[in-house]
Amino acid sequence: MAATSTKVAQPKDRQSTTHRHPLESTFNPKSIAVVGVTPTPGTVPYDIFYNILTSGYKGTVYPVAPGKRSICAVRAYRYVIDIEDDVDQAVIVFPANVVERALKQCGEKGIKSVIVISAGFREVGPKGTQREQRLKEICAEYGISMIGPNCLGVINTDPAVRLNASFARKMPDAGRIAFLSQSGALCTAVLDYAREKGIGFSKFVSFGNKAGVTEIELFDYLHQDEQTDVILLYLEELRNGRALIEAARRITRGDRAKPILAIKSGRTPQGADAAASHTGSLAGEDAVCDAVFQEAGIIRIGSIEDLFNSAIMYGYEPMPSGDRLAIVTNAGGPGVMAVDSAVRAGLAIPHFAESTTAALRASLPETANLKNPVDVIGDARADRYMAALKAVLDDPNVDQALVILTPQSMTDIDSIARGVVRIHKEATKPIACSFMGATDVTSGVHLLQAAHIPHYILPEWACEAMASVQEIRRWRQQLIGKPERLQVDRAAVQKILDGAGAGYLNEDQALAVLEAYGLPVPTHKLCPTAEEAVAFAEQTGYPVVLRVVSPQVVHKSEVKGVILNLADADAVRGAFDRMYRHVAEVMPEAEIHGLLVRGMIPDGYEIILGAKRDPSFGPTLMFGLGGIYVGLFKDVTFGLAPIDRATAARMVSQVKAHQLLEGARGGAQADINDIQECLIKVGQLIDDFDRIVELDVNPLIVGPAEIGNAVADVRIRLSE
Amino acid sequence: MNKDEVQKRVVNVVCQVLGVDADLVEPDSHFVFDLGAESTQSVELVAAFEAEFGIEMDDEAALNVETVGGAIEFISEIVD
Repeated sequence: MAATSTKVAQPKDRQSTTHRHPLESTFNPKSIAVVGVTPTPGTVPYDIFYNILTSGYKGTVYPVAPGKRSICAVRAYRYVIDIEDDVDQAVIVFPANVVERALKQCGEKGIKSVIVISAGFREVGPKGTQREQRLKEICAEYGISMIGPNCLGVINTDPAVRLNASFARKMPDAGRIAFLSQSGALCTAVLDYAREKGIGFSKFVSFGNKAGVTEIELFDYLHQDEQTDVILLYLEELRNGRALIEAARRITRGDRAKPILAIKSGRTPQGADAAASHTGSLAGEDAVCDAVFQEAGIIRIGSIEDLFNSAIMYGYEPMPSGDRLAIVTNAGGPGVMAVDSAVRAGLAIPHFAESTTAALRASLPETANLKNPVDVIGDARADRYMAALKAVLDDPNVDQALVILTPQSMTDIDSIARGVVRIHKEATKPIACSFMGATDVTSGVHLLQAAHIPHYILPEWACEAMASVQEIRRWRQQLIGKPERLQVDRAAVQKILDGAGAGYLNEDQALAVLEAYGLPVPTHKLCPTAEEAVAFAEQTGYPVVLRVVSPQVVHKSEVKGVILNLADADAVRGAFDRMYRHVAEVMPEAEIHGLLVRGMIPDGYEIILGAKRDPSFGPTLMFGLGGIYVGLFKDVTFGLAPIDRATAARMVSQVKAHQLLEGARGGAQADINDIQECLIKVGQLIDDFDRIVELDVNPLIVGPAEIGNAVADVRIRLSE
Repeated sequence: MNKDEVQKRVVNVVCQVLGVDADLVEPDSHFVFDLGAESTQSVELVAAFEAEFGIEMDDEAALNVETVGGAIEFISEIVD
């Protein structure tokens, strides 16, 4: 079924070759060589050739099938280099052990776009990884853009191309959605699912092991692709978070902005660190991925169903001006449930203007509910539905509408669907429908689908899809600032690092680093003797804390290396000697540099500020509820350093515990501004110094605003 | 049996199983890349060689042989 959406662009003249996108030959090849075709139907090599041949492809296709004169009555070639004509693209379907030879011949022939369907590479282990590396080297040598290996292929439904270079069962309908997937098997399920829903695609790409072309290059192509309005992505691994953010931001904001909706699953090659630090153990790949997607403007979705639910809402309907939803229903119960779902999803349920209420009163029976949700009552037919829908769409307080239908015996389902289709043609506000049921509503649902009106079996799915569109709308309006650079003493930190080897800094050194970057570090002193400790305590004021400082002691509590609340000189002396003796006894190898003395920090909320240098994402920040609860509740958020003020505010406000910081339940309000600044400074610190691989401030004790915050403990680990 | 004889008979079997002309089959011909052998045909080739030469071959080792020349060497070692 061809797409008839008003959003379909008319085919335009192809770009001149001087301005061809690097992936133009991948999606619009004028000729294709399928390399490694076999004559046996039902095999991948045969089926791919057959699909290209029978999908209506507008170019020329050459089968390369050693030992065969023809395939499907098309003259076959022994080698790709035997083809006399120029060839735009090769699709290699040979087994893995000969792909390298085929790829080399493609390079010798001057083919710049190759799709390697074959499996048996990185996904099978070290031998496959070596094979894949050789493919990369050949591509670099000949300047080839390679999709795959280990992929399903590429589909382009543009009527001027009609390319199905894949082993998917059928060519999908044309549409405005591009789908990119790292899983080939998932692709076939998605194609079947979309067909049932009447959803079409502009481009469909399974990019497999992404040894050559990755989602980043594909984003760039799809951004300028006039056939695509929305990009869906299924990813199993995220390699270059920073590059992804930049590429995605270019697409999701600014001119010709297109949303990217993504499902991310699986693990990266570098998993979460089994690090000594909380940040290291909590900043796992999935949590950081959330941060990456947020900063990139990629909407992360939990399931394939939700992915398409959101995609059709965005793709078929205009962008709403706001989040106010009007509901028209013939059943009170589903109407109320829809209101609950809408509110949960972050949508607003507005009151109608007087003029709307008057229009509804004039066209609906006395028993109807004229407020939002409008209940046109169970015996409503098309006339009441259309009157109500027109009235709410005309209301200035309404940004979008949801039509709910339950199939009563008198409900003229198809007429109502046709009525919605008529109104939808002229509407400037988005409309979604939920014809609830499975069999009686089928023909009505098909009418809606054929007209590309978003339909959902349940009203809550419609609300969740509308909420995704709101997320897209808010992202486009969000200001993205430059990372904030605050006044700090870089030279002081450099001096400390220059004198330190790999491993953890001593606490006094770590505190000095934080102090140089303006974090609230309490007055302290490293004292090698009890008398020095007492002298400093007298000066600072009691009560004080003693903390052992030794390069070998990472977890002080395990060696009783922290004693709190020492109220006078005798207590300090006694504690000093006890601690020294105990640590020497339980950890004889510990080199004790002294005991750190500082004043007791007044009680407050304990939060964690963490930073970690991730191999994939670079410097990563963590903020959340800290102290002994950090591993228990994991109430933390992530960002990529360095950050701007808006990101700092987001990170702080997204943890559940932030309500405590804002003075919930009669508690004192903390200095949120200072907390945000501390977070910015920690981000600046790890960004400024490559040798810092992990940093935990845990806890930062947050007091009432008039008292302020203080660093109670810190760990900084350096690389070589 | 000398190697020339082995080669002649190997080429014969290859032509029959893969349906290719003898002039395409060289000692350095790769079964898949040069002669278009499908995965099922690799198994057929092993069975055909065993039948032709009256030998038994280790299946795993035999399936790892990628070229005509490799097959000639492999079979020659068995029949010698």
